[in-house]
Amino acid sequence: MNGIQVILISGVLLIFFYYTFRLRSAILDLLVLAICSGLGIFFILFPSYTNDIAHKLGVGRGADLLFYICILLFLFVVMKLFARIRRLERKLTEVIRNDAKKEMQVKD
Amino acid sequence: MSTPDPRQVFVVIPAYNEHASIHSVTQELLKHGYRLVIVDDGSKPSLAPVLNDLPVIYARHRVNLGQGAALQTGIEIALANEASFVVTFDADGQHEAGDIADAINLLVENQLDVVLGSRFLENPAKDMSAGRKRVLKMARYINFIFTGILLTDAHNGFRCMTAEAAGKITLKQNGMSHATEFLSIIRKQKLRYAEMPVSVYYTDYSKAKGQRSWHGFRILFDLLLSKFFK
Repeated sequence: MNGIQVILISGVLLIFFYYTFRLRSAILDLLVLAICSGLGIFFILFPSYTNDIAHKLGVGRGADLLFYICILLFLFVVMKLFARIRRLERKLTEVIRNDAKKEMQVKD
Repeated sequence: MSTPDPRQVFVVIPAYNEHASIHSVTQELLKHGYRLVIVDDGSKPSLAPVLNDLPVIYARHRVNLGQGAALQTGIEIALANEASFVVTFDADGQHEAGDIADAINLLVENQLDVVLGSRFLENPAKDMSAGRKRVLKMARYINFIFTGILLTDAHNGFRCMTAEAAGKITLKQNGMSHATEFLSIIRKQKLRYAEMPVSVYYTDYSKAKGQRSWHGFRILFDLLLSKFFK
């Protein structure tokens, strides 16, 4: 095992355990995370498999394929977060509006 | 024809940090006998002390939400107080209180739902910079693309509507893109509308306080996002 593999694997494990112990949530989430982490560690240990998959998809290197997938994932996460922020904003507006109505001063 | 009782006319004024102008704007409007709903959109410090001596309805957002949100709050308060007409009016003193009566007459005579103020319909706005004119011209067409309504003025804070129309309006865009959202609602709800020339005064104060032209891009961005994220 070389240096980068050690770093990556400990990173994946760290995130996995952090998520399970700190943010523990639905079983399904955990299952998905476990599968992803497992796959991640597998491909870190045997990177040549990513090359095989990449070749099948017409991408030169496994690392490039990963990069492209990361871009997609990143955009997906941004959209998810954005939608959530909008929902939060809407709720906040409602709360503040209700407060404003409750506390309004009518002097006319 | 019978002019409506001014006590049934509610003027909604969204105000954010308008300490310098709000008092005089309010006084001017009170002379006409209208009822005023001032929505303090989280100004710091609060506008309440400035308005203490004036007979108005004062509501305050605890944090700044944006002009669209403030307008919506004000419209809801006006309707809860049984308004017959709801007018939206800028707090920085650029509108003319005398225009309200004309707008309501136009509304009643032509059985319209909404009257929108325009700076360009007759006498062009006083002291408007060339850059601002260009931006507003662009905004017209952007509004047209988004809403299918082509107005002579795109972002005018002066609007006048019947209670019935106001009840159909729910502004969800908290920021400045509410002007376009307003048009979409007019279109969707099939409201009858007309434009009316209004005087707009560009004082040094309102110029300093008002939006910068590049805020237009921000508005456009908000609009695009609102199309994608309902």
